[in-house]
Amino acid sequence: MIDFYSTNADRFIDGTIVTVRLALLSFAIAVVVGVIIASFRVSPVPPLQRFAAAYVSLFRNLPLLVIFFLALFGLGDLGLVYDGFPTAVVALGMYTGAYMAEVIRSGINSVSSGQAEAGRAIGLGFIPLLVTIVIPQAVRTVIAPIGNLFIANFKNTAVALTITVTELTFVSRQLINQTAQVAYSVGGAAIIYTVILLGVGWAFRSLESRYAIKR
Amino acid sequence: MSMVLTEALGPRAKSRVRIANWVTLVVIGLLVAFVVRQLWTAGQLEWRLWEPFTVWINLEFLLLGLANTLKAAVIAMVFSIATGFLFALGRLARSPWVRGLCVSYVEFFRSIPLLLAIFGVFFGLAAAGFDASPLTSLVIALILYNSAVLSEIFRAGINSLDKGQSEAAMAVGLRYWPMMRIVILPQAVRRMIPAIVAQLATLSKDVSLGFVISYEEVVSRGTGFSAFSPAGNLQAYVVVGVIYFILVYLLAKLAAYLDTREARAPKAAADPDAAAIDTEIDLA
Repeated sequence: MIDFYSTNADRFIDGTIVTVRLALLSFAIAVVVGVIIASFRVSPVPPLQRFAAAYVSLFRNLPLLVIFFLALFGLGDLGLVYDGFPTAVVALGMYTGAYMAEVIRSGINSVSSGQAEAGRAIGLGFIPLLVTIVIPQAVRTVIAPIGNLFIANFKNTAVALTITVTELTFVSRQLINQTAQVAYSVGGAAIIYTVILLGVGWAFRSLESRYAIKR
Repeated sequence: MSMVLTEALGPRAKSRVRIANWVTLVVIGLLVAFVVRQLWTAGQLEWRLWEPFTVWINLEFLLLGLANTLKAAVIAMVFSIATGFLFALGRLARSPWVRGLCVSYVEFFRSIPLLLAIFGVFFGLAAAGFDASPLTSLVIALILYNSAVLSEIFRAGINSLDKGQSEAAMAVGLRYWPMMRIVILPQAVRRMIPAIVAQLATLSKDVSLGFVISYEEVVSRGTGFSAFSPAGNLQAYVVVGVIYFILVYLLAKLAAYLDTREARAPKAAADPDAAAIDTEIDLA
């Protein structure tokens, strides 16, 4: 066992780095997409609302695997990205972004309407109102769901192995092939995922207890 | 429209919204035109690439894949409801050992990717000398994984009941199991049905990952298309996507419908007799 992990430590580490990079980059895209789509959704402009609803519905009702394959065979033709890793970042970011939009929207709806009325009363327009009054309060009510989303997004990076991204689960799969040590190969990756995600879960829980609005 | 951020619009805002409407429509139109043009120049819109999907035998091939998807999802769901339920009870048990064990199980499977679990089960069974089919491996992995998720749903359902329910049950002298069976579960299960249907939608999406151990579900079948027909990969996945979208959309709609019906229903806690009768009608 010690032999196995000392010879393959580098590969586990490389895989972990790819996974973490993919998770962070795609989550950053998800936040941007989520904020944009959620603001479309609450805007007073009907075509924007419908566009946002269609976006969310499309990405939530398709398996991530299908989205990856569509991105792999489609994004190149749109002149965007060809390579495995950037495709994974974009596809995963857009997928998680749809869920993020729903989380943010529920947060926005949880802000009492008196807040927005007060903002309008002192003359704020739609966007300043959203940015300075509503979103800061909305974010504090959705820390826990965003934490869950981060964890789900982190686990979903594994699907990127289907488009040849050499992330942690890919490394584990490769080691199974090369060493036939199934328990060690899977166990090593499982421990890394568990340690990281238990840490992330703990971090979000402490953020929540510190900043969440008690109701 | 969300009334949180806007109220009835005045004349100036109305004209601004009208302008924004047109701008949005034009931008969306340009976006669509751009996508179509790019796909056209890349030759992705050529009829011969799409034509195979107008032939019934090809569609049937894909739909039988969808049947495999559903088969794995339903088998996994039935078993994970049972195991998830046991884990939920375990987490609410009095013994700290039982609780600790169940918490570790749930936390472990909630923090590893499903794909890793699938590989672990598939290659693990093979290494242990079992001759397990991809379906068996996939279903076992899905059960291991989903029972963790479902146990959280069940726990939330049980915890959502008013404490007075279990206190009243104990006050009339019921022991643990009769209390669960007569008082707690009939109410909790009722509340959880929408969440269970929603989880079935998620599960049927997750079955697509059976692709990696070549389980013959709808995505695997779509992948094979370009090999034996002029159809392109992108086209195959678009068709697979449409099929999947319809399935998951319908399941999600059903869950939402059950949810609103549940919210409208008279609260079970108020009158247990009425709840029992209602549940029977639900099952019929």
